[in-house]
Amino acid sequence: MASKETILAKIKSNRPNLWPLPDVPIFETSVTDKKKLFIQILERGGSKVHCIDDSSQIHQVITTHFPENNRMVSTLPLLEGMEGITTLHPDFYEGTEVAIIEGLIGVAENGALWVTENELGKVRVLPFIAQHLIMIISAKNIVGTMHEAYKALGLPTTSGFGVFIAGPSKTADIEQSLVIGAQGARSLLVIVTP
Amino acid sequence: MMPHAQKAAIFNKDEARTDWHDASLWMVRKKRDFAVSEIPEWEFLREFASDIKMHTLSKLDDYLESFEKAAIQNGAIVHWAADAKEHNDIVLSILNKHQAKKMVKSKSMLTEECHLNEFLEHHNIEVIDSDLGERIIQMLNEPPSHIVLPAIHLKKEEIGELFHRELHTEKGATDPQYLTEAARHHLREKFHTAQVALTGVNFGIAETGEIVVCTNEGNADMGVHLTPVQIHSMGIEKLIPRRSDLAVFTRLLARSATGQPVTVFTSHHRNPKPAGEMHIILVDNGRTEQLGKPDFRSSLKCIRCGACMNTCPIYRRSGGHSYETTIPGPIGSILTPGIDLKKHGQLPFASTLCGSCTDVCPVKIDIHTQLYKWRQIVSEAGLPEGGNKTMMSIMGSGLASPSFFHRLGNIGRKLLRLFPGKERFLSFTVWTKDRDLPKAPVESFREWYVKQTKDGQ
Repeated sequence: MASKETILAKIKSNRPNLWPLPDVPIFETSVTDKKKLFIQILERGGSKVHCIDDSSQIHQVITTHFPENNRMVSTLPLLEGMEGITTLHPDFYEGTEVAIIEGLIGVAENGALWVTENELGKVRVLPFIAQHLIMIISAKNIVGTMHEAYKALGLPTTSGFGVFIAGPSKTADIEQSLVIGAQGARSLLVIVTP
Repeated sequence: MMPHAQKAAIFNKDEARTDWHDASLWMVRKKRDFAVSEIPEWEFLREFASDIKMHTLSKLDDYLESFEKAAIQNGAIVHWAADAKEHNDIVLSILNKHQAKKMVKSKSMLTEECHLNEFLEHHNIEVIDSDLGERIIQMLNEPPSHIVLPAIHLKKEEIGELFHRELHTEKGATDPQYLTEAARHHLREKFHTAQVALTGVNFGIAETGEIVVCTNEGNADMGVHLTPVQIHSMGIEKLIPRRSDLAVFTRLLARSATGQPVTVFTSHHRNPKPAGEMHIILVDNGRTEQLGKPDFRSSLKCIRCGACMNTCPIYRRSGGHSYETTIPGPIGSILTPGIDLKKHGQLPFASTLCGSCTDVCPVKIDIHTQLYKWRQIVSEAGLPEGGNKTMMSIMGSGLASPSFFHRLGNIGRKLLRLFPGKERFLSFTVWTKDRDLPKAPVESFREWYVKQTKDGQ
């Protein structure tokens, strides 16, 4: 407690005069086809994108990309026959080959998809621990910029964890050579529904 | 401590390696330029980011209290640390409370600054740095040489040899894909067996009490979500007022750092996971001192992107280790003299004052102006000793008196004619160490001008 008082007192005596807080406008993208830009940026960052006309095709797309009968964990109710969330113990999900989750907002300018712990069945580690990740997003939920995304998100009320995911896990720590698949998912497949 | 210039000279002995280091960083700078060119409002964003940070600093005490209140309401435990020692003691007490002996850590320059690893190891805690670059240098027992690219100074052959020794990879294997895969397996096991995870913090949000961590590898999230106890160490200057301010900063950070449009993961942690525990440590460690220095307080706006390092001609050709500070390069050279002027007073001179750092800084810190201002302070304090001072006083009196200047010019030209090539007689200054002086002209402009006016009449 003592340090808190010391730090705050030091700030009070050392801080500069009040500097005004700017109102930041909601910058929008000049690109008209946001979906196209979203796909382009995702692919540039090493993700795969698959567009479908009807949600009923999701299952088929998944089996096309992952034909082998691997351990797949999904938090989506529509994907019957797949493993759902049965325990909150995170270590249980080690060995998950593919995790399938829903993205709430897609950002065209950087290919990021927003997901909260509610879409993860409260298993926060799921999109990181799985070897491969599939995210499903509706084209209706693609916005242009991060400003629009945060405006749509508002303040968190029901979730204690949220993350923007913009591709497969990657590193360039060895001689600046890009390696896809560092500690998290080795690949990201984004399925865009209407 | 060896001065920067001396360390840089050692670094420069291997010319091919220096060129390679230079080129690697310049490539990152070019990627940044491309990423920036995609945002038409880039300059506005820099201005907004700068103003948001300055505003936060001007009300930092209020915002810290709002942040703490919100974080506690969320269910986090908030600690305050006046200095590195208190920070380290808090971390150790959390570990002891849970009888934890193993901790995974994701990249955090603050814990480097506090020398947390050495402290915990001394108390028999196993600390595993989980970012690939950090893990590499931890195995080598070296500090990071760059704040975003910690192992940028190492060749893949050296990493291959290290991994062969430590992780039993094949001898002679140097493929980055293969080596990264080996580290992935090695680290997965650590994530599952550690009891505590510690991360740094990119942004703390005053209105929500959230902390935001930006990574590419996913290592911070693997640690935080797999261990029961999560600790976030945060410098007090990392605060921003509103959640929506993240739009500005996430657009600036990765583009400036690596030229990516955004980091792969931007994680917002608000409360502990089910049955978990979440600690946030707010650390001062000299920041309030810096806040009290009007000329230098804006250095606290820094968001640690590393762009000033990638662009700096001195950093690129001297390497991060030559600075002997936690944060090397231009930003480190204005942050550290305030901590220990005697030890780090030479760093503001490790610059050409070209201003490229200021140009690329996403939060508009006037880095080169502050480097110049530190030089004044260092010189007034009587530091540094050596050749520069002698040269400066000769130049000073020479330029102040026209007749002396004239005579000095004459002598100089004569000497240049007598000893052409490497000007050994100037060896008391470092200027001629790697430079040849130009051929001496037959006459000076003044002599020529006098002749012209005479002939013309």
